[in-house]
Amino acid sequence: MSTARADRIGLLVLPGLAYLGLIYALPLFLLLLKSFRDATGALSVAEFVQIFGDPLQRSIIARTLRVAFLVTLLALVIAWPTAIVMRSARGGWLSLFLVAIILPMSLGVVVKAFAWSILFRSNGFINQSLMTMNLIDAPIRLLFTETALVIGAANVFLPFMVLPIYAVLQQQDPNLPDAAATLGAGPYRRFFKVIVPLAMPGVVAGCAFVFSMAVSMYVIPSLIIGERQQTVAMQIARSFLFLRNEQLGSSLSTILLLIAVSVVLGSSWLAARLGARQ
Amino acid sequence: MLDRHAPDPGAAPMAAPDAQYLDVVAIRKAFKGVTVMDGLDFRMARGELVSLLGPSGCGKTTLLRIIAGLMQADDGSVILAGRNIASLPPHKRNISVVFQNYALFPHLSVAENVAFGLRARGMSKADAVKPVHEALALVRMQDFAERSITALSGGQQQRIAVARALVVRPHLLLLDEPFSALDRKLRETMQVELKSLLRERGITGIFVTHDQDEAMGVSDRIAVMNAGRIEQFADPSTLYATPATPFVMDFVGLSTRLSGRVAAQEGALVAVDTDLGRLRAPGTLAPGTPVLIGVRPELIRLDGGADMNRVDLVLEDVAILGSKTMLQGRPGAEDRLLCELAGIRNGKSRGDAVSFHWAVEDTLLYDLSAGATP
Repeated sequence: MSTARADRIGLLVLPGLAYLGLIYALPLFLLLLKSFRDATGALSVAEFVQIFGDPLQRSIIARTLRVAFLVTLLALVIAWPTAIVMRSARGGWLSLFLVAIILPMSLGVVVKAFAWSILFRSNGFINQSLMTMNLIDAPIRLLFTETALVIGAANVFLPFMVLPIYAVLQQQDPNLPDAAATLGAGPYRRFFKVIVPLAMPGVVAGCAFVFSMAVSMYVIPSLIIGERQQTVAMQIARSFLFLRNEQLGSSLSTILLLIAVSVVLGSSWLAARLGARQ
Repeated sequence: MLDRHAPDPGAAPMAAPDAQYLDVVAIRKAFKGVTVMDGLDFRMARGELVSLLGPSGCGKTTLLRIIAGLMQADDGSVILAGRNIASLPPHKRNISVVFQNYALFPHLSVAENVAFGLRARGMSKADAVKPVHEALALVRMQDFAERSITALSGGQQQRIAVARALVVRPHLLLLDEPFSALDRKLRETMQVELKSLLRERGITGIFVTHDQDEAMGVSDRIAVMNAGRIEQFADPSTLYATPATPFVMDFVGLSTRLSGRVAAQEGALVAVDTDLGRLRAPGTLAPGTPVLIGVRPELIRLDGGADMNRVDLVLEDVAILGSKTMLQGRPGAEDRLLCELAGIRNGKSRGDAVSFHWAVEDTLLYDLSAGATP
């Protein structure tokens, strides 16, 4: 291919670039700019100082991070064995697994959330079962709790954890665990010294996906725990829509953005480091 | 660390005192109800280098995996150094394997790969340094200790795989098509190198291969496998000179082959009628028996006496193979005539009418009748 022709083909990127610039980069830039101004329009970090000085805001940020961390952890714990089983599955079983993982993504979060509320409410399935088994005397509160939020969100984001881990496991040379075995490594050593380290790039990618989605989720917490226990994303929406406090909203957005960007960059760095040895 | 087996280059391995170092007995194996191995026996001495030779699907890799413990036999025993290891998991057998793709750990350095088996046996990092270095020196890779696996060429990777397998002083070394990923030139060099290394260290080893030249080059004895059975287990020259079955004759080396029927028994010889005339071969068979006649191509000459077997033919092809020439005739679909002449200046070309002559005692004879033992 000639250089001139390559240059002309390169022009094809322009529409996408223009679209991203106009719809994504520009508004984001304006938002960032706003977060570093005070009410008079002068440059200032006063809004951030105020946010971090406010115990309520601090607790909201802390809850957001805690929930995102727990969601990621729960998704990881469920995804690992699933991905391991999928790797050894063949034909029809594998298709079944893939459908089971991907199909729920097509179901809107709203539908899922209301389905869970049937499950979680005080006279719902879980409480009824626990009471029937005499494990509890009175219904326990599940709906509108952080526990319910973590369980629900992990369910929504699970495919984004399973698929990258499955992808790396599937690419692993099946001879490697065999080689480790013939060299004297028992099942635990094979798992922790061969299978897990080689799967790390997938684990990092899955955790980055899930964490960055969980830290900025809005719809799921709104539906599951409502206004009582807010997350940063809900607080941002509230600032813009109800409080009409664009300063607060922009600054919270910046904080959320910084968290998400550092997770993405950090995980890319980690994945590159882990991948470099392979 | 590595010289567990005393080097003993002079002794003939077959005469070793423990002639049953590895004794694989009555192995049965079925995959999804299809029997692939039905009572296979295999036995070798300490310090012997043996090849399992056969086409893909003959069961050679299955046998290797059963010996290594990577696959369970449905029945039968694997006795190594007097101990039945058939029910032991692979990590408790002390049998090292060099895999076809080497299966080096991509997340570990060269030295860490070699140290893996020692670390799995509970050796500390510090204690492993010396044996790892010795093993790398053995394969002349000591300068590559800190390299990444992916930075190595195929030949270098193979050496690391060998070092990794030997450093743990295995009771038995299994090599699954170890040369197939290398190009031809490198393959021949590595074969010579590896054979002398294993010999020097007195390693008992089994090569799995589909390449007869490789099997001939690296092993003391070759087990030719076909359809889950060992057709013949012998040293290379016996295998070549007196193949036990038509399969072995075809798989190991080239040969002239002609089918025919026994016409008469003439003392110690059998007279066979073929499409190209009457031929004689040593043996005893009833008249009318369908048979296959075979001759190795280098035993055939273009002239000879009246007491020799003789066929007249028109040459189909004359192939110059470097130091030799192969003359070929094709009298029938299944039949084949091959004559190998030394040198390349013999004035023969395609379409020439020639006569192939060979000694009666060099003629191989196989009973093709149903029920004949293969």
